[in-house]
This record gives sequence, structure tokens and C-alpha cells, in this order.
Amino acid sequence: MKRNGSSSRFRQSITTVLYPLFFGILILVLWQTQALHAMLNIDPFVLPLPSRINSIIGESLPKIMTNVWATLIVAVAGLLLGSLFGYLIAIVATVFPKWGAGGLSIVTAFNAIPIVALAPVITNWTKDVSSDANIRSMVAKIIVVLLMCTASMSLNAYRGLTELRPFSQDLLESYAAGKFTIFRKLRLPNSVPYIFTALRVSVPLSVISALVSEYFAEYVIGVGRQIRENIVLGQYPTAWAYITVACLIGIVMYAVLIVCESILLRHRK
Amino acid sequence: MKALQTIRSSRKLVTLVWILGLIILWECGAFYIEAVKRTPENVLPHLWQIIASVFSTKVISNGQTATQIVLTNAGATLLRAGYGFLIGMAGGFLLAILMKLSGIVEKVAFPYLMLIQMIPILGMAPIVLAITKDIGVSRIVIAAILTFYPVCTNTLAGLKSVEQEKLDLMYLCAANRYQVYWKTLIPTCIPFFFTGLKISAPMAITASILVDTLQGDGGLGCMLSQSLKHAMSIYVFWQIVFLSAFVGVASSWLMGLLERRFSPQKRLAARKGA
Amino acid sequence: MNGSQTAIKIDNVGMVYRADNQEVTALTGVSLDIEKGEFISLLGPSGCGKTTLLRIVADLLAPTSGQVLIDGSSPREARLQKKYGMVFQSPVLYEWRTVQKNIELPLELMKLSKEERAERARKMLELVGLTDFAHHYPQQLSGGMQQRVGIARALALRPEILLMDEPFSALDEFTREKLHEDLLRIWGKTNKTVLFVTHNIAEAVFLSDRVCVLSPHPGRLSAVVNIDLPRPRTMELRDTPEFTALVAKVRNSFEGV
Repeated sequence: MKRNGSSSRFRQSITTVLYPLFFGILILVLWQTQALHAMLNIDPFVLPLPSRINSIIGESLPKIMTNVWATLIVAVAGLLLGSLFGYLIAIVATVFPKWGAGGLSIVTAFNAIPIVALAPVITNWTKDVSSDANIRSMVAKIIVVLLMCTASMSLNAYRGLTELRPFSQDLLESYAAGKFTIFRKLRLPNSVPYIFTALRVSVPLSVISALVSEYFAEYVIGVGRQIRENIVLGQYPTAWAYITVACLIGIVMYAVLIVCESILLRHRK
Repeated sequence: MKALQTIRSSRKLVTLVWILGLIILWECGAFYIEAVKRTPENVLPHLWQIIASVFSTKVISNGQTATQIVLTNAGATLLRAGYGFLIGMAGGFLLAILMKLSGIVEKVAFPYLMLIQMIPILGMAPIVLAITKDIGVSRIVIAAILTFYPVCTNTLAGLKSVEQEKLDLMYLCAANRYQVYWKTLIPTCIPFFFTGLKISAPMAITASILVDTLQGDGGLGCMLSQSLKHAMSIYVFWQIVFLSAFVGVASSWLMGLLERRFSPQKRLAARKGA
Repeated sequence: MNGSQTAIKIDNVGMVYRADNQEVTALTGVSLDIEKGEFISLLGPSGCGKTTLLRIVADLLAPTSGQVLIDGSSPREARLQKKYGMVFQSPVLYEWRTVQKNIELPLELMKLSKEERAERARKMLELVGLTDFAHHYPQQLSGGMQQRVGIARALALRPEILLMDEPFSALDEFTREKLHEDLLRIWGKTNKTVLFVTHNIAEAVFLSDRVCVLSPHPGRLSAVVNIDLPRPRTMELRDTPEFTALVAKVRNSFEGV
């Protein structure tokens, strides 16, 4: 049995923060002092020092921001459209259970298709969308992200719309509520936590697929494409600056999601 | 029982109808594209044209037919994806066990595990190639990192899902730590471990193909880019699209099969058709 | 049972939890001597500390005051000597092991030979009447059968003390009554000391030699009722006036519920 509950709990929460922080600082110090390079046998030219990466970000901030916006628009637009599309599929599957559920198993299979295979096909499909290479590339990229984000939303939302608390549907039916009322009062609110479960998967996925789709896009823009282009040109510090930015995009989008979730679901357990 | 079987066979029928519907949709698109485009095979060829190219004996490049090219390159890519997958699997499993064993390891590793999830690893593929200087090693590294995260988090969740009563039982039988892990904790986390594998198997393949596209040293991704640049028949591209889709789905299915092999409770649930 | 040995000596045991800087007294001043081979029930409403007391005896919890002696030694020593068999509220079966392998689990931990494990498991299966189900998986059995496997597993270790924590509370009435008879039959054959936790008065009276009534806020032993009904006991006993009178006596001994 543990005695002195409060003081040991305080020590617990302190170590929860301090241990990983020490570890992170240790890695940064090893990196900055080039000990990391010696251990992994890497040239500092390929893996530039943190201070150098930091100064590059500072120097070329306007250019980096242009690319960040390009990636962010693709990731967010694809995420929202894909989630919306996935939710619609879930609604259709709920309304027509027999055929809809079968369709969902197809969606699951689509989930396992590598995105890299999708990206070039879609670039081919969107050739006629616009005469502006930037716009038609963006459309192609958004479609890739959209397709990647559809599956997790449709599968999770379907569970949210159908896995109701026992007897809740019976209760509403005993009040002579119609299908639409049941949908609005019961299924829709019930699916909200499931939407967030889906988003926790698809937010990081949207950033990844946005970066990868940029590789195959016609128009050269975006954080992912810049990582690649700069490495081809041998400008490793710049490439690392973009990698750092890409990681930040992922972290910030995930953080925004968590904040939204804690606000919207604060009354639920 | 009989009613159950009818439901199951009708579910198969539903899936079949869906697949047929998708094929019809594809073909409608293909006929439309054929009517309006000069090079329809670049946009949406007929399915039978792709199938015909699989069996075609026409030599495309280096004395190989399209199918031979795809298969030899698939070998290089999938083998590396497989190595990476195995390394990531072992690493993820071991870290989960270590995190369960030691509070310090859990505290240090947990925030970084969350961070890996948010970081676009696939976007870092070019830099991994630059560091390792070897396409094969890069494929393995990226596939391993991508496999690592889902396996580790799911296994850890499995280790934490063990009922307290089972641990009490072990305690009452005076089991040592090794026995607690070997008899109770590890068997409990096996289904969770496989959930992780089902997620990560297609990801490892995706990663391996993507790394291929970064360099001209062969592999599915490399052939995919070359075919798109019309360095060889466009049907090589279409074959790779379908092959990678098939392998992705099959890898996930294979993990489900292995799961049923290793955990009797899953086998029983699957037999019930639940 | 005059002159027989004390199997479990509970001496002025108290348990105080500390939660959110508040002290909660789960048990206070519980003293009880249990003889070898006795069937004792710990009866009470939720929050009376009956499960806490069982867990203290089982060395799963350490009391904050007083002590428990098992055959004159500490619960920890008794546990290391494998003197305990425990049956939980849910069967707690290992879903990846067959019924036989579930029963063999504690024996594996004792590093018994394969032959000996199989032999003991066979005997246990016979005892609980599940010989035909040896190679089934737990999910294929009914709730009552699963709990029998739980009992067989607890007995496979050949413990001196059988600890049962509301083992039948999740079962339906018919299954439960059947298992009561089975449990008494098994107990008669094996002669274990049984400590049985329940919140069902009729169950406690039907099974026990003595019913220990615990009352909540704070958890304490408020009465010990001797059940001098003849053994072997069968289902018909429940309809006798003697049984009904004892149930009423036990019910009236509760304080402050």
C-alpha cells in the first residue's frame, strides 16, 4: 500500500514531464555537439546542426510560409471534404443497412491501397480541370487527401450512427418519433465522439498524404516537394528546415484537433 | 444456424454486387475517356486492356515483358518492405513490453510515441535516403518506423487491458514476473498486436514504393515513375497500381489470417460470423 | 468440530483508505477464528468491507491495523506455500486456453510435469462434471459451466483454503441453486476451509456453517450466526421452517442499513 498519497503523486507528475524533457534535451545536445553524427556515422552536411536549421528557418521565412500555406490548404481542404464525404457514406450505409454495410467493407479494402499509387493517376485525371498548373495540381492533391481521409471517417461514423445505447431507439420509437427525428436526436449526437476518433487518425494522415501527393504533382510547390527538391539540389540545411516545418504542421493540426475535441466533448465522459 | 448462413452468404453477395458496380463504373468512365481523349490509356484504360497487358508477350524493355518487369521489381520492393515490417514489428513489441516493465521507460517514451504519430514520416523519406545513402536500407528504415508506431501503441494498450483479477490470480499462485508476462500479459496483448500489424502492413508497402520513386535504382515505385514519364509502356503503371492495391489489401488480410491462427478466441469469433 | 485447529485467525483487523486527502474506514476491529474445514460466509451489503476482508486474508491487501494468521503464519507465507485457491465474481478464464489448459494454468506455474498436470486436471473436471468439455474453449460454455471451471482451477492447486468472492452473483437463479448443491458436494469431498463472500442471505444460510454479518459505515462484524442445519443439504431444505427462521434471524442481525 502506498502511503503519503499526495506528495508521491506530486513527484509522479513532475517526473512525467521531466524524464522525457531530459531525454529530448540530451538528444539535442548530442546533435548540436556532433556526438550524434559520430555515433550514427553521419556527415554534418547531411544532418545539419539544430542551430543551423533554426537560422535557415529564420532567414527564409516568407518563402517557407508560401509553401506551408500551399500544403496546409491541400491538407485541410482534403481533410474536410474527405471527412464530409466519409460521413455521407456512413449516413447512406445507415439508411440502407444491407447494401451500405457491404459497401463499407469495400471502403475498408480501399484503405489498404497505397497512396503513392493513387497520386499519379489522379494527376492524369485532373489535366483538364484548369489551364493554370497551380490550380489543377492543387485539385489533384486535394483529391488524394480526400480519398485517404474518407475511409477512417466512414467506418467510424457508421459505428457512431448505428452503435446506439441499448433501448434508446426503442424509447424514441415509443414516443412515435419518425426515422428523421431518431436520426437527428439520437444517431447524430451519438456519432460525435466517433467523428473525433476518425479525425485522430485522419489528421496526421492528411498531412502525410498532402506531402506525398506534392511529389507527383505537376506544379512545384508545398513543403513536401521542397524537402525533395532541396535534397536533389544538395541543399540539406534547407531541406531540414522544411522537415522541421512539416513536423510542426503535423503537431499544430493535431493540437488544434485535441483542443476542439476537449471543448466540444467537455460534457461527455 | 441456417438463418445465420443465409445472412453470411447474402453478405458475400452484397460485396460481389459492389465489386461488379465498381467495375461497371470504371468501364463507363473508360468508354467516355476513349471517346474524348487522344491517349485514353494514360487516363483510364479499359480493364481488359490492363489484363491483356499482363498476358502480353511483347518485350518492353531490357528483354522483359511488362509482367516480368513488374514482378522482378515487386520482389525487390516487397522484400525490403517485409524486412522493415519485421524490424518495426519486433521493435514496437519490445518497446511496449519495456514500457510495461519499467515506469521510467514508459515516461520517457510515451510523449515521443505520440509525437511520432503526428510527424509525417513519409515526408522525411528523401532525407532518410540522403543519410543512409542506400535505397534498400532507406526502404527498410522507413517501413520499420511506420510499422513501429501502430504496433507499439496497440500492444501497449493490450498489455494495459489485462483484467485485474487475472493478475490477482497470478499473484495468489505466487507466479514470478516472467510467468506473469509469459502466461498472462503477452497472450492477452496478441489480438491488439495484430490490430497494429493490420494497420501497418499496407503502410510498410506504401512506404517502400514511395522510397523507390526517389531514385532510379529499380523497384515498383521507380518503374511507376518511369512508366508515367513514358519511358516504357503505360500499362506497366496500371499493372503496378492494381498490384500494389492488391498486395496492400492482401497484406492486411494475411495478418487477419495469422491472428486467427494464433488466438483461438478470434478463430471462434470468426467462425460464429460475428 | 470441538477441539479442531484454527485455520484462519483474524485478529482486530482494520483498514483505512486514503482517497483525495480523506480517510475512509473500510473495516474496523474485525476479529474471527475460522476452524479447519469450516464453511464461512461473509455477508453484507455493498460497502461493508466484505471483499476487503477477503483480500486481506488472501494477501492481496495489507491491513492498516491488526493481523491475520493462517495456520500460525502470515498470509504472505501462506500464499507462497500455495495454500489459497480463489474463485472470482466473473470466471476469469483465459479465453485462449481450453478448459483443461485453464485448469492446468496454476499447475504450470508450480512447474508440475505434463502428465501430473493432465492427471490433476482430469480429476478436477470429473469433480465439477465437465469431463466432456475438456477441449472446449471458455466462450463455448454457459456462464454456470464457466464458473465451474473457475472452481476446478482454484481446487487444482490443492489449496487448504478456498476463497470465493461473490462467485455466483452473475448467474441466474436456477443455475445458482444447482451450483450451490454442487459446491457443497465438492466441499464435502475435499474438506477445504471455505471463505465465501456474498450479499445473498439465502445463499449464505444454505451453504455455511457460520454466517458472518458485516455492516457498513464503517465496515464491521456485527453478528456471527451459527447455521446448525443438518448436512448434506439439498434443495428441499430451502422450504423448511428452520431454514426460513435462520434467514429471518440473519436478516434481523443487520445494523444501520
